[in-house]
Amino acid sequence: MSSGWIVLLPLLAPLAAAAAGLLAWRAPRIQAALGIVGAGAQLAAGLGLLQQVLREGVQAVQLGSWPAPFGITFAADLLGAVMVVVTGVIGLAVTVYSLADIDPGRRAFAYFPLVQVLLAGVAGAFLTGDIFNLYVCFEVLLMASFVLLALGGERAQMAGALTYVTLNLVSSALFLAGVGLTYGITRSLNMAELHLRLGVVAESRPELVLALAGLFFVAFGIKAAVFPLYTWLPASYHTPPVAVSALLAGLLTKVGVYALIRVLTLVFPPLPGVGTFLLAVASLTMVFGVLGAVAMFETRRILSFHIVSQIGYMVMGLALVGSDSPAVRAAGLAAAVLYIVHHIIVKANLFLVSGIAARLGGSFQLARVGGLAAAAPWLALLFLIPAGSLAGVPPLSGFWAKLAVVRAGLAGEAWWTVAAALGAGLLTVLSMVKIWTEAFWKPAPDTATPPPPAARWRLALLAAPSLGLAALTVAIGLYPRPLYELARRAAEQLLAPSNYVAAVGVATAHDSARGDGKGGQ
Amino acid sequence: MTSFILRAATGYLMPLLLLLSVFMLLRGHNEPGGGFIGGLLAAAAFAFHALAWGPRATLELLRADPRTIIAAGLAAALLAGVVAAAAGEPFLTAHWLPIALPGVGKVGTPLLFDVGVYLVVVGTTTLILLTLGED
Amino acid sequence: MNPALVIAGYGLLALLTVAMALAALRLALGPSLADRVVAFDVVAAAGVAMAALAAVLWQKPVLLDVALVLSVIAFIGTVAVARYLEGKVRR
Repeated sequence: MSSGWIVLLPLLAPLAAAAAGLLAWRAPRIQAALGIVGAGAQLAAGLGLLQQVLREGVQAVQLGSWPAPFGITFAADLLGAVMVVVTGVIGLAVTVYSLADIDPGRRAFAYFPLVQVLLAGVAGAFLTGDIFNLYVCFEVLLMASFVLLALGGERAQMAGALTYVTLNLVSSALFLAGVGLTYGITRSLNMAELHLRLGVVAESRPELVLALAGLFFVAFGIKAAVFPLYTWLPASYHTPPVAVSALLAGLLTKVGVYALIRVLTLVFPPLPGVGTFLLAVASLTMVFGVLGAVAMFETRRILSFHIVSQIGYMVMGLALVGSDSPAVRAAGLAAAVLYIVHHIIVKANLFLVSGIAARLGGSFQLARVGGLAAAAPWLALLFLIPAGSLAGVPPLSGFWAKLAVVRAGLAGEAWWTVAAALGAGLLTVLSMVKIWTEAFWKPAPDTATPPPPAARWRLALLAAPSLGLAALTVAIGLYPRPLYELARRAAEQLLAPSNYVAAVGVATAHDSARGDGKGGQ
Repeated sequence: MTSFILRAATGYLMPLLLLLSVFMLLRGHNEPGGGFIGGLLAAAAFAFHALAWGPRATLELLRADPRTIIAAGLAAALLAGVVAAAAGEPFLTAHWLPIALPGVGKVGTPLLFDVGVYLVVVGTTTLILLTLGED
Repeated sequence: MNPALVIAGYGLLALLTVAMALAALRLALGPSLADRVVAFDVVAAAGVAMAALAAVLWQKPVLLDVALVLSVIAFIGTVAVARYLEGKVRR
């Protein structure tokens, strides 16, 4: 046994970088370097972990050698490992971008170590096998994101940060209440053991389990920004520096979606009506999100509303676990996983590009910029790739992700939701075209105030991560097969939780029903 | 605006609060307490001091910058976890020194971890308080 | 434990609950900040008393710690707000 250190490395690497960075708080240059190292190490560790999981199945480690369910378990299945890899990619891209984007004031306030703490929290949330520990990881990443949102403290930024903090605290309180009730009912917090015990409880008290699931749904729904709990997101994501927006927009809501997937596939037994309910939520999320985007004329606000509508597609994939047919369940989950991966990369990239565009054009307000296609053709290309992908233009990653979701929806006979997905897709094209014509195509208005040209090295640093992410989008678009295969296998694993439970090593259903779950060997 | 009542009270209350916080920290291994609540109590003591004497005086009293305290705490907690790597065991596996110290009890990596948490909490809370209190 | 004591204990818990509820109402209604501060202090004091009482009633010494820490935090909170109010009045 390798003692499972590989499972923890994606979490420990950024944490160590954060500690070292804080120690060097007088030297922002060292902090920045440590930030790159930490994010790079996380990406490398994530890739190593993914390879290990692909080779040997679910990996688990018991912190402090306390056997499950007494200690805290960390476990990586394919979904968790894939998510960690994507986290590493975004972390690295955003950190490089920050080198040129973040002002010295924010750097002095430990910007880079905070990003590392955020990345550690996100990786922890993806890897933990204990529901209270999931709460702790949520708190870690939220704390870091609070500070990142509020750093600098411009007035609009504080207003956005306050909305964000309040709503997320409500969500955390509900989550904690749910965790407390779960423990009260089952005497366990280990997700693998909860899988066994809540199944038993559901037989005698189905209403109790349904109520618990509702509590978790609201808590994670706020974080994931699904209808009708999304209002905080467009109100806060456009205010901080672009690098922070990209980090939050790419990763944080998707942690909420991940938690929904994990809880609904592993912790809770199949619940009646959950599929129909989630399909309705998904449709409304897609439609309302995209309608909000159509009404906006500020790049970052448009992109923020699109996060909401895109969350709908992921929830739609997840909703199909309520289907009777195993094939539909697998297709739906696989589509959801594929969509999450595609979306994180594309959305983070769009924010990065919008930041470069604002830097060159002088404003995020579409009315006040223009002519960027002529002024910076390379930027136009850089924008077209993720924008086309978001809208689902073949052969980019978004096309395959949308295709997978819609096909799964058709197989699951969710006609209304498929109609909503297609409609939302059309409107997404429309609003991407809006940004294109306004910012890139139309001549620059007289009111435009282009800032002094930025240094060449700065533009190169800003463009490099965006270029890397765009290359990933194109690569996924041209060779969707490996990623789809990965998503399919991840979905299979999710639908057969016995592997996960066995890897964690909690007692079997029979033992725990007798009440003497000893755990471990 | 100085309050003599508050300043006089700090002289007696600070040591008591800090003692209580250390007590909580040390007792935390098998009973309620531990690094988190201990750190919170210590931070409360420093907040109290800042109220009576102003944030600047508290910073001088702390000697170290709160950020350094946070970093030291994080490093201590990580170190406590990584010790187990040398023995090829999972993260955070406990290792104890063979002798027990009088008044403290057994000393080992779990205590180091708790001290780390304590420092992180003290550092974070004082950082927030002093930043808010400056304007 | 003496049954009379147990009855008295539960009676006290009920009274404290009522006191806490009333103070919480004042906390919500205000109207001035000073009202809220005093109300908050009463809520905290009732909480401390409840924790101590519960420690005796259910023989759980652990709850005394809750009372201890709660009283420390509430005290510092009140002092902090009092300082803030004082500063406002002076200005």
